[in-house]
Amino acid sequence: MVFKLFGNARSRPTLRVAHILKEMQVPFEFVAIDVQGNEHKTAEYLKKQPFGQIPYIDDDGFVLFETRAICKYIATKWRGQGPALFPDPSDLKATALFDQALSIEYSNFDNAAVNIAVEKVYKPKYLNKPTDEALVAEQVSKLEAKLEGYEAILSKQKYLAGEYVTLADLYHITFGFYIVEEGGLMLFTDEAKYPNMARWWKDITSRPAWLAVKGGL
Amino acid sequence: MVLKIHGVPKFAYTQIVLVVLKETNAPYELITVDWINKEHKTPAYLEKHPFGQYPYMDDDGFILHETSAIVKYIATKYRASGTALAPDPSNLKATVLFDQAWSVQASDFSPYAGGIVMERLGKPFHGSQPDEQAVQQHITNLENKLNGYEAILGKQSYLAGDNLTAADLAHLPLGTLIGELDVKSLEDPTRRPNVARWWNDISNRPAWKEVLSISDA
Repeated sequence: MVFKLFGNARSRPTLRVAHILKEMQVPFEFVAIDVQGNEHKTAEYLKKQPFGQIPYIDDDGFVLFETRAICKYIATKWRGQGPALFPDPSDLKATALFDQALSIEYSNFDNAAVNIAVEKVYKPKYLNKPTDEALVAEQVSKLEAKLEGYEAILSKQKYLAGEYVTLADLYHITFGFYIVEEGGLMLFTDEAKYPNMARWWKDITSRPAWLAVKGGL
Repeated sequence: MVLKIHGVPKFAYTQIVLVVLKETNAPYELITVDWINKEHKTPAYLEKHPFGQYPYMDDDGFILHETSAIVKYIATKYRASGTALAPDPSNLKATVLFDQAWSVQASDFSPYAGGIVMERLGKPFHGSQPDEQAVQQHITNLENKLNGYEAILGKQSYLAGDNLTAADLAHLPLGTLIGELDVKSLEDPTRRPNVARWWNDISNRPAWKEVLSISDA
């Protein structure tokens, strides 16, 4: 039975998973969840995803949620047919440095990035609500405080976990892209201020697999 | 040279590392960071931890930061010497279910429990008043997510399956603190009996009691 991705065609987290499916050349069926109609809050949906969130996947009966767990599963199961997006699990230190990079994305980037994306793009575009510019300024400030750390790491190595691209780099794209391209904020694309981070950003966002899904499913 | 943890024993993320060290019987040395005097923001510290946070680990020269990476490294390296707190890396499904569980803790528990602690403990420490409306919102959000926990823990003993993992233990520091701050959502068996059973189990483990006694010292 084909791999199924349940989500929303333009949802950032859904596109994160779709990106990795494309990287690993995994054929999949996208099943649209009626978010407007609160399908993800129905009792039937909650049996699959107990927190009522999107997306989730069903790989021939194996159900998984949390996009980063899903992406790791895809990158592991189909390891032979796409790029190696994380180190060999038997290499303890390389794996630890990969886990470190995953956590950097989650703890130092994601929260502020999501908040900025919601205010600058999602609210005006989809909810017809005004942007809270004060909140944006506060979250941008939070994010900018972390960019020095990114710049320091990326000045010593090509990617966040070392010399090879990993899932940890790619997880930044779905919200980061939204902020830069649709929110119009330069931030980490500022070559003058953060040359290494800008180099890294340009590299990861020009990957064909991302370009294939960036417009939505 | 023995594994060194640089952190602050009464703070949550250092405590997560300490409880994992104790459960796995890993030998270690704890070096207290002089956080009050902003040691973690000095150039020397930033060389080790580019985001100026704690804890970080130095295992005979191998430097690692990010609690989740440190915890997985210790759980993997010392898998045979104490409680097995992470699955065998060669087991794909068990590994991603562990990732899913860790992600649930990070997205669906810690932001809200952390928010409560920030308001009722953090703010008074810095000389301002808690915003009780914000506290109520965090409690509402937390309890909403705990309904998801209740469903999961009704089918299996722990968050990643039938075995205890570091993903369960990661709830201990903030979970204990909110209990002390009069938020009894985890402990109340009348509303969520499975959550209460799980909380009672993990919070009474001897290793956690030992961590609390270090933290009080």
